[in-house]
Amino acid sequence: MTQGGDEVTRESYSNGAAGVARRCVDSSQGGLGVSQVVPTQDEAQVADVADVKGRSLTQIAWGRLRRDKTFIISTIILAFFLLAAIFAPVITGFLGVDPYSLDPDVLDPAGGKPIGPWGGASWEHPLGVEWGTGRDIFARLIYGLRISLLIAFSATILVVILGTLFGIISGYARGWVDASIGRLMDLILAFPFFLIILALSGTMTQRLTDLGVPEGNASRITYLILVLGIFGWPYLARIVRGEVLSLREREFVESAVSLGASTPRILFREILPNLWAPILVYATLLLPVYVATEAVLSFLGVGVLPPDPSFGAMLGASTQYWTLVPSYLFIPGTLLVIIVVAFNLAGDSVRDALDPKAATR
Amino acid sequence: MLKYRKGAAFAIGIASGALVLAACGGSSSGGDSSSSSSGGDSSSSSSGGDSSSSSSSSGGDDQAGGTLTILTSAEQLLSLDPQVIYTGEDLAFLGATIMRSLTAYQVAPGDTEGTTLVPDMATDTGSASNGGQTWSFTLRDGITWEDGSPVTCADVAYGTSRQFDTGLAEGGPVYAVSYLDIPVDEEGNSAYAGPADGTGQDLFDKAVTCDGNTITFNLNQPVPDFNYAVTLGFSAVPAGMATGEEYANKPMSNGPYKISEYSKGAGGKLVLVRNEAWNKDSDPYRLALPDSWVIDFGIEETVGEQRVMQSSGDDAYAMVQGLTTAALPVVFEDPQYESRRIDAFDPYTIYAAVNAEKIPDEKCRQAIGVALDRDALLLNAGGTYAGTLADGVVKPNIGIDYAPTGLWDGLLGQPVPGTGDPEFAKKLLAEGNNCPTEITVDYGQTEDNDKAVAIWVESLARAGITVKPNPIERGQYYGVVFKDGNEIMFGGWGPDWPNASTVIPPLFVQGWNLSKVDDKEFNKQVQAASVELDRETQAAMWQELDKIAAQKMWTVPTRFGRDQRLAGTGVGPIFSWAAYGSYPYPIMYAAQ
Repeated sequence: MTQGGDEVTRESYSNGAAGVARRCVDSSQGGLGVSQVVPTQDEAQVADVADVKGRSLTQIAWGRLRRDKTFIISTIILAFFLLAAIFAPVITGFLGVDPYSLDPDVLDPAGGKPIGPWGGASWEHPLGVEWGTGRDIFARLIYGLRISLLIAFSATILVVILGTLFGIISGYARGWVDASIGRLMDLILAFPFFLIILALSGTMTQRLTDLGVPEGNASRITYLILVLGIFGWPYLARIVRGEVLSLREREFVESAVSLGASTPRILFREILPNLWAPILVYATLLLPVYVATEAVLSFLGVGVLPPDPSFGAMLGASTQYWTLVPSYLFIPGTLLVIIVVAFNLAGDSVRDALDPKAATR
Repeated sequence: MLKYRKGAAFAIGIASGALVLAACGGSSSGGDSSSSSSGGDSSSSSSGGDSSSSSSSSGGDDQAGGTLTILTSAEQLLSLDPQVIYTGEDLAFLGATIMRSLTAYQVAPGDTEGTTLVPDMATDTGSASNGGQTWSFTLRDGITWEDGSPVTCADVAYGTSRQFDTGLAEGGPVYAVSYLDIPVDEEGNSAYAGPADGTGQDLFDKAVTCDGNTITFNLNQPVPDFNYAVTLGFSAVPAGMATGEEYANKPMSNGPYKISEYSKGAGGKLVLVRNEAWNKDSDPYRLALPDSWVIDFGIEETVGEQRVMQSSGDDAYAMVQGLTTAALPVVFEDPQYESRRIDAFDPYTIYAAVNAEKIPDEKCRQAIGVALDRDALLLNAGGTYAGTLADGVVKPNIGIDYAPTGLWDGLLGQPVPGTGDPEFAKKLLAEGNNCPTEITVDYGQTEDNDKAVAIWVESLARAGITVKPNPIERGQYYGVVFKDGNEIMFGGWGPDWPNASTVIPPLFVQGWNLSKVDDKEFNKQVQAASVELDRETQAAMWQELDKIAAQKMWTVPTRFGRDQRLAGTGVGPIFSWAAYGSYPYPIMYAAQ
């Protein structure tokens, strides 16, 4: 999955790198293009026409995004789930359910099967209950969402920080620094990443605990974030490096050099602001990958410990029961699909909005 | 007393042990041998009766021939070595097909009938002399190995001697080491090191002697039920054959079948075909009806049970050795499965061992048991299908060694409901000395155990005890917890034969002592019970010891397990063989 997402992004941005020079030209055209294509939105049009010359890339992109229905809808969906995850305790408290408490009353004493269709769905348990324990599926779902999103966001942020840092240094420094970072990236990309995660989870989680991370799920979640981050950054670093290789030859960089600016200043004040578009696009496309990866890892048993819920563990447990209670499979499965697709669509929209060539379509 | 036997891994993650339930009074060997020879006859005749009745229902009268198939999610049998096999199911299946023993259990429905001892290779169930300290068995004529050579007394002695090879027989039954009259040093190591090493061979040759076809075992103490012990680990191995660990993959058969193919892993199979050298006259015990047996490895549980439910084509002759909880309502609420399903108490007691080294104070251990929601655990395991709440490690179907301990009915000072009593637990915690408020629970990781540990977390939290789950990969589970187990370890145990001497000593003295109990007074009483010759008195002693162990809460006994299975439409006869909680393999057939 990681690699698949990367191929797409890398391709478009290696084009992008070559097309940086074009971008400035295209941007102004883009502004005009938009106003011509969507003449019905009066207010926007007035604003566009009035500000054509003064608009920044950000404004142009934002203007495009605001008119992109896919983006609006997927963002609303994501915001909804994000809020649900953040306010999970409030929501479950309001509904009177919680993800841990047992409810034997809704189970058949012979076999432990939930009484009633759809896993025993009722007003008390809107999405049904777990087989054998009677724990509430809805509460487990939104608590699982919390953990999924926490891992996905943290790992993405880690990838962005590491990838940008190494990419920018590698691209600007050239010589042996570039070479050694390049080989390091090759090394990491060549690692059988899933195997490492599975094989090292026990010992490394213990090591983290020894280093002072609280035992149990804190260590396991930290481990997942670190591993996803450490094995994820080279993809972004390669993209950033490509951009930097082209940017560093540009006039504004040369002028900064000739004025005697320090290297950090050039890297982070001059070059970095020009990189945020590819980084943002990569990050939005990476998030859904990590949501799915977290589910896979907890399915394989290296995710969070019981009794804490997670998507992967819920999906894993569902396979045994799916002929009798299909909702165990469909509820977390559908939610996972919706989130991943929404993230992907939002990411695509961001990419299109920032892509100078999109306007000419 | 049982010797060390760590590390046996169990496909089902419970425990192992050959097992037997049911009362078996006969401590007088004379009575045994006479009743057992008739038992031998009745086993074949009664099975004949079974087969005729079931054949009429299946509409065919030809029961010989065909192939019976076992679908299992395991990727191999733990071992095929007669001195290593220790899981009940494997003992039952391999004993029925390739591995004969001196004595065996009658194959019949019912707890008592199914655990009655009958002769197999021996002409009777053994005769004891010298107050039960000397046992001899005479081999039948005409027993042969698959290459046609005769099975001799020396082969039986050689097989027995392999129990002393500690590297080889680790995890296997070691009753020979415990009982034979061979000196043991202070650390519990025998002076005999097994046939490969050869140290102390003269000692073994003195303890096990051959006179023609008669093998005599000289024991270090009176063992009134030694003839039961010889069903485990005393099977013959061709004397002098290169028989290290490699023997485990291709053992020499002396039963009605032999191995024609054995490949491990998903997609692998064990194929048994007829052993032409097997002489039916020498073996009244096995009917050997099908032409071949196949075990298909690596079939996912849900897939296997679906295939058997459909029972189409060759799957009519297939069977599974267990059902997932999700399949139970389907199989047991639909009358079409009525004639081919099994629902019976199995030999196992499910418990959580409490590490007495880490929690030395009795009150603290009791608090844990009192706080635990055992009803929820039972429901999670399958409710009434999974069994009933346990009150000790000795299970009622063992027979006279069981008496209710009253553990949850006031033995601890006040009755404890199945859902646990957090207030009482808090009281016990307060009375206890330095009770831990945070404990770690070790368990073999499965979906069901993940949920079970969640119940531990939830119900102990009510009493203010924090539970940290520690999932361990199932194949390594017992290896890990025997080395460094935490406060609580999930476990399960079944007796090796219907005597609590195969339950209480291994669990609390030596053998399968997960709880790391070392209680001098208790050990003394166990030793006294072990050598008690009067069976009634001994039973009373075991009952008392079961009660003491329950009160000291070295284990939290949670469930007396039940077992459900399903076979295809062409498989017969269908009942649970009480000796092993397995299918009645020696008399099974494929209805044509």
